[in-house]
Amino acid sequence: MYDRMQELHSDQMTKIHDASMAILQKTGIVVNEEEALAIFKKHGYRVENKTVFPTEQQIRGALASAPATFTVEARNPAKSVAIGGDNFAFLPGYGAPYVIDGQGTQREARMEDYDTFCRLIQTSKYIDMNGWMMVEPSDMPAATVHLDMTLSNILLCDKPFMGSPVSRQGAIDGIEMAAIAWGGKDRIVEKPVTVSLINSLSPLQFSEEMAGSLIELARHGQATVIASLIMAGASGPVTLAGVLAMQNAEILTGLALAQLVRPGVPVIYGSTSSAMDMKTGALSIGAPELSKNINYTAQMARFYNLPSRSGGGLTDALYPDAQAGAESALALYTAARNGINFVLHAAGILGSYIAMSFEKFLIDEEVCGMVRRMLKPIDITDESIDVEMICKVGPGGQYLTNPKTFKLCRTEFFLPDLMSRSNYDAWSAAGKKKINEIADNKLTQRLAKYEKPDIDAGIEKDLTEYVNRRKQG
Amino acid sequence: MSQLSTITETLISGDGEALQKLVQEALDAGIPANTILNDALISGMDIVGAKMECGDMFIPEVLMAAQAMSESVEILKPLLADGQSSVVGKVIIGTVKGDLHDIGKNLVKMMLESAGFEIIDLGVDISPEDFVKAIIDNKPDIVGLSALLTTTMPMMKKSIQTIEESGLRKNLKIIVGGAPVNQAFADEIGADGYAPDAGAASKLAKSLLQQ
Repeated sequence: MYDRMQELHSDQMTKIHDASMAILQKTGIVVNEEEALAIFKKHGYRVENKTVFPTEQQIRGALASAPATFTVEARNPAKSVAIGGDNFAFLPGYGAPYVIDGQGTQREARMEDYDTFCRLIQTSKYIDMNGWMMVEPSDMPAATVHLDMTLSNILLCDKPFMGSPVSRQGAIDGIEMAAIAWGGKDRIVEKPVTVSLINSLSPLQFSEEMAGSLIELARHGQATVIASLIMAGASGPVTLAGVLAMQNAEILTGLALAQLVRPGVPVIYGSTSSAMDMKTGALSIGAPELSKNINYTAQMARFYNLPSRSGGGLTDALYPDAQAGAESALALYTAARNGINFVLHAAGILGSYIAMSFEKFLIDEEVCGMVRRMLKPIDITDESIDVEMICKVGPGGQYLTNPKTFKLCRTEFFLPDLMSRSNYDAWSAAGKKKINEIADNKLTQRLAKYEKPDIDAGIEKDLTEYVNRRKQG
Repeated sequence: MSQLSTITETLISGDGEALQKLVQEALDAGIPANTILNDALISGMDIVGAKMECGDMFIPEVLMAAQAMSESVEILKPLLADGQSSVVGKVIIGTVKGDLHDIGKNLVKMMLESAGFEIIDLGVDISPEDFVKAIIDNKPDIVGLSALLTTTMPMMKKSIQTIEESGLRKNLKIIVGGAPVNQAFADEIGADGYAPDAGAASKLAKSLLQQ
């Protein structure tokens, strides 16, 4: 199949791999976590102070045990999500400290916003998995907010969710709560029920919190995304080729740690590296360099036979305007089309990760639906072509009153909820509404449809008690 | 005076080696060190700052000019008379405890240096107590606190509180910055200033010292 974007040839990917191996051998990666260093040492990795120097053979050993595909089990098994291969899953935005409202005003996010996003995800036709920290609630104590977010994830939504990687203890809390929901740790250790986001600290480091969380999550069989976010020209090389070599070295070292802790634990190869804006020093995730890196990430992950994470509805715009629409759709479509399996930030993000927008969540979500439809292969069968019907209608005929059109008119095409297809008069008579205004109007209707999913009363009580107990002590 | 304007132009082009040569030639020709400093180099960095602000110069170009400036100031320093300082103010800068991110902080540091500030960079993961100790040891005019993580933003408040409790806040300005930080947060935690980017930070520092 011809695709202008699948640009890397296998010899180029080998060259990137070789460069990463050279970086690991010559300079190594600093891992600011005692146990992680002890684990590397125990398995014969060269460790000097806090720097680990994995060899090619060690990296290949780790890659050999990492699975190409896996399933994240949902509390409602019908909603479990397959990761890897030809599958792709859309997830909400992640990590935004602010909400930007319909008037374009930025405010600190609150717990009620977090819960609203959980409800939107539960009622979403196109968002496959719940995230984690869609927004960071500022009205809850920072030391325990991970407990509140995990509780909302489990109680308000029965889709699979992302885990808490804030710290070693934060990861343990997430695991304990999942164990309560699934009826014991032994029920989750053999099959992941969460995917957590572990970021490297570019250039060439892992922080104590991230490495500690990674160890606990891997130990309990939970999946992780090992992701690098290099700002090309600032926290990494200015050329994307250099970025690829460096992020690959970081990701593979994280993957190796996870595989040493528990061989076979699922790890997703992730990157959202992009360009630094050379005029301001800010990260740009609306840049074409981001979308180029989305494809490189997908190609490198396939090179190693790993699931991949990148992309999403990413933008630098601070309002759901034309810039936000264009940048987000490009990055989302690029991810899905190039084979990214785990599309975090698929809906809601604004302003280079600084804020979530409820209106943009609904708009992006519709784009997710469109993209999924675009990538769904059509049936090529005698029935779907129907030569007989075409000959019968003949030259100059029409298909509007054809029984097949009548039968398929509600299902054959994608039906938008927000995108306008009105003519000028109708659009004008309805108040010339822009899509963000239409989304704003739909939000209340959507939330009115929400129903809390069923959960065993005893499990809900145990979860709530766990959270309360941890908050007290 | 064309010698001085050539120095300014060379500074803006970021050619450090050529700049040092020109500065030495100007000294050899009898131009006083403080004239070279003020009328060629500092005025040149003012132009660089203005060009950066309107997007005519990109950050790596600005930093190259700043580096060229520092190298040439080293040549001039021993020749400046008492009371003629090459330093407009002293700044302590660091990323607060729990946060290991330093790209933005380093950018601010370089911009401040190029504006004539003396910078003491404490690094990353700096506890409130370490800021206090550094203030006692160095007696800065300004302390700059950096954070990238929202989880470490409260540490900015704690750092300011600890500095206040140590009785060191008088005659000291505290400025804050980092991707999630904004003016409202700076006001809330009692900082003296906030700047959204490195260029603005340099302007802010200068304006705080003029108050």
